[in-house]
Parts: sequence; C-alpha cells; structure tokens
Amino acid sequence: MKVKVLFFGATADSVGEREVRLELPDGTFADKALEEILDKCEGLRENHDVGQLHFSINQEYSNGKETICDGDELAVFTAVSGG
Amino acid sequence: MKFFELTSEPLDVGAIARRIVPEECGATVTLDGYVRKFTKGRETDYLVYEAYEPMALKEMEKLIDKALDKYEIAAVGIVHRLGKLDIGETSVVISVSSPHRRAAFESCEWLIKELKRTVPIWKKEVYADGEVWVEGDVSGEQ
Repeated sequence: MKVKVLFFGATADSVGEREVRLELPDGTFADKALEEILDKCEGLRENHDVGQLHFSINQEYSNGKETICDGDELAVFTAVSGG
Repeated sequence: MKFFELTSEPLDVGAIARRIVPEECGATVTLDGYVRKFTKGRETDYLVYEAYEPMALKEMEKLIDKALDKYEIAAVGIVHRLGKLDIGETSVVISVSSPHRRAAFESCEWLIKELKRTVPIWKKEVYADGEVWVEGDVSGEQ
C-alpha cells in the first residue's frame, strides 16, 4: 500500500522535502511505519532526537498503535512552537 | 460560539475581540501575542511561522471545545498568523468572553498554554547571523 508522508519546519529542512510517497506492507502499525520513515528518509535520525519527534495519521496525533491504511496521510514533525 | 482561523494577513486585535460580544457576557479577555525582539539574550530580526494547516485547525477547535466545557465561558476566538512577521507584529490573538471576568482570564491562559503544546505550528527565528526552527517547550509554560 502507498502512503503520503509530510514534513514541516525542521523536519522538512532535514529531509530536504516537504512530502514523500512511501510503500508500506499492508497492516503496518503506526510505530513500525514511523521506523520505516526514519530509515528511508535520510536526515531525520541525523538531525533529531527521534524520541522527541511527533507523528500524526490523517491529521490526528498517533499513539503508535493504529493500523495504517492505503492512502493515509502521515506527518513527522518536531515539538510545536506556535503562539 | 467559536471561531478559529489561520491567516497570512496582519491581525487587527481589537476587531477580532469585538467579534465575540454575546449579550449574556460582561467581559472579554484578549491575548495579543506578538513578536519579541530578544529571546534568551539573542536579537531576532524577524520570525517565520509555518503550520500543518488542516491539523492545526482541527487542534484549535478541539482546544476551544475543551475550554467551553471546562470553564464558565460563552465564546472563544483564536486567530494565528503565518508567514514572515516583524518585531512587534501580532502572531496570535485569543479572545474569550464570559459573564464574569475570572473564567475569561483563567481560560485564556489555559488556551495559550495548550495551543503552544498541541497545535502544529512552528516558528523559525531569523537572526543577523543565522536561523533556527524553535522546538517547543512541551509544558507550554514559556
């Protein structure tokens, strides 16, 4: 299945892209999907404390336990700093 | 009553506050958050704000719904600006109306603290000699 992965701010700078498409095995869980993204998108592990990165699925914060579906919109970003 | 918006246009704080003046209310507390020149002693030239817009709007609405549930308030409006902002320009406005002022003050403080913790918006500080994406304080206290 195919998913879209978005990056913002610092993670977009690290990866050098704002959006990538990834192929994941059917039934992948969120925590595994994040590992795949960290492995495939160079710059994330190098520039970030990965334990501090946030992960969302279809614009909702992930708890790591969800099952990813074909066409999902994932995003990886640093702690937010609006205001 | 509620509204929550993202815009790249300058914010008119007074106009935003006056959008929520329900008849049952007697007070509106408004936070005018603007760009600070000095952060930890370093001089900022300007800021750039970026958002994951659809998710930011969803998170703003969730916060407002929680505040309306948690406090004795009648209306909340939040508008956050995006893009390049100069020193002193307003980046965020949070207005809360309530029958009595105390709930409006308390909920306005709670809303900005939570916004800084959960709403996917990021600021880049640009200095004379470099730039950095700010990583938020997870407590939302700063």
